[in-house]
Parts: sequence; structure tokens; C-alpha cells
Amino acid sequence: MIDPLAIGLIVFALVIALGSLLTTALNKAMGTVLLVALGLLEIGLLVQAGFVVAGLVGGEGPDDTATLIGYTAGTVVIPPVAAFWGVGERSRWGPAVIAVAGFAIPGMVGRMLQIWQGVA
Amino acid sequence: MSERAGEKDAAVEARAGAGDGASAAGHGVGSGPGRVLVAVYGVFALAAGARAAVQIARQFDEAPLAYALSAFAAAVYLLLAVALGRGMRRLALAACGIELAGVLVVGTLSLVYPEAFPDATVWSGFGSGYVYIPVVLPLLGLYWLSRRK
Repeated sequence: MIDPLAIGLIVFALVIALGSLLTTALNKAMGTVLLVALGLLEIGLLVQAGFVVAGLVGGEGPDDTATLIGYTAGTVVIPPVAAFWGVGERSRWGPAVIAVAGFAIPGMVGRMLQIWQGVA
Repeated sequence: MSERAGEKDAAVEARAGAGDGASAAGHGVGSGPGRVLVAVYGVFALAAGARAAVQIARQFDEAPLAYALSAFAAAVYLLLAVALGRGMRRLALAACGIELAGVLVVGTLSLVYPEAFPDATVWSGFGSGYVYIPVVLPLLGLYWLSRRK
């Protein structure tokens, strides 16, 4: 697990969440920008998941691998599901769905960091 | 989906929004703001479910009641995500009632008998470990379901 990447992902997800909330506040449906941003976030999360798996295979990381794997899998699943579910709603509530994902990802990546560093 | 459709919905939405935010474009309990509820329930089902699965698999004996309740909460969240998403209003209403009762009972028990909960559940302390979202969520759900007949 790479700390700077994790922090970048947390910040980026929060930016997406705030952008989504703004879109909802402005009463607009999902735009291309949000979708592309969500795609980039997913790529970043997949890269991070790759490092987590590689690290675990290489004997790195914490004792509590099950929880770490659970969170890693969760972060990878959430953006596509959010995109699918948000695009289907052609109103201001589409981006609101993306905002939920945008706030969930930082929490999960933060927990992954804690577990990886053995804090929790 | 064309941009025009989006604009149309946005226009309907704007008119509905003049009254209040809850009556939105679209139909059924799983559209409009209901989508957001489905998303939140989905995330909670995933988070609580994964956590309960890990805990039950490796350390069930440490806090059997807490882990069983976490698994039950996860099941209720999953049921709600599906029921709302598929527009099953009555099922969603019943599940919301169970959810509210669960978070209130478990929240109170966890404060009165902390020794019965050596490890936290999603509903411990009325969801204090999850910024109290678990206690607000069923109220939002019931409010939403009562608005969308």
C-alpha cells in the first residue's frame, strides 16, 4: 500500500463528493466530468488494490488481512456501482448518489491505511 | 440518454423542488431522492456485512451477541437497499421499522449493559461509530416512504 497514493485517493474522492453535491445543489443531472472523474478514481483504487495484494503476497502488511481485503474489495466495487446507479437517475439525485460514494471511499481508504500501518 | 431528457427531468425537478425536495421527478420509492437512500443502504450493507463476516469467521466467541447483531443489521440494510431499489414499498416500510427498533434497542442496551457488548456493533451507542448515520437513516427512510405513496 502506497501512502501518498492513498492520500491522493482520499482527497480526490472528497473533491468528487463536493463536486457532486454542488451539481445536486445546482439542480443538474450527471455530467461527463463527474463520470470521467469517477473512472479515474476507480483506476487509482485498482492500482492501490494491486499494491495491497502484491504487498500481502510479498509478506508485508498487517496480521489482520481479512479486514484489509474486505475494505480493498469494497473500495473497488463502490465507484462502478455508484456510476451505474447514478447515471440511471436523470435528475439532481444522480450526482447525489455519486456524493455518497465520494464520502464512503475516503472513510474506507482511511481505514485501510490504519490497518496497514497497524494503528487499528 | 439524451441531454434533452436530462433537462426535462431537471425542469420537472425544479418545479417539484419549489414545494419541497422530496417530491421529485420519476416514479416509485427507488427514484429521485430514493436513489440516494438506496446508495447509502448499499454502502452500509457492504460495510456492516463485510465486517460481520470477518468477525464471525475468526473471533465469534469473543462477542457473539455483538457480531450476530452486526450480521443482522447488515441483512436489514441489504433488504432495504433491494426493497427500495426495486420499489417494494411495503417491504421497505417493514424493514425500516425493524431498523429503527433495532438501532434504538441495541443503542440503549449497549449503553445500559456495556458488558454484553465487548465489541461494537453498527448500532452500538445509536451508531456513534458511524457518525450517528444508523439512527438518522431509518427516520429518513420512513419519512421518504410516507411521502412517496
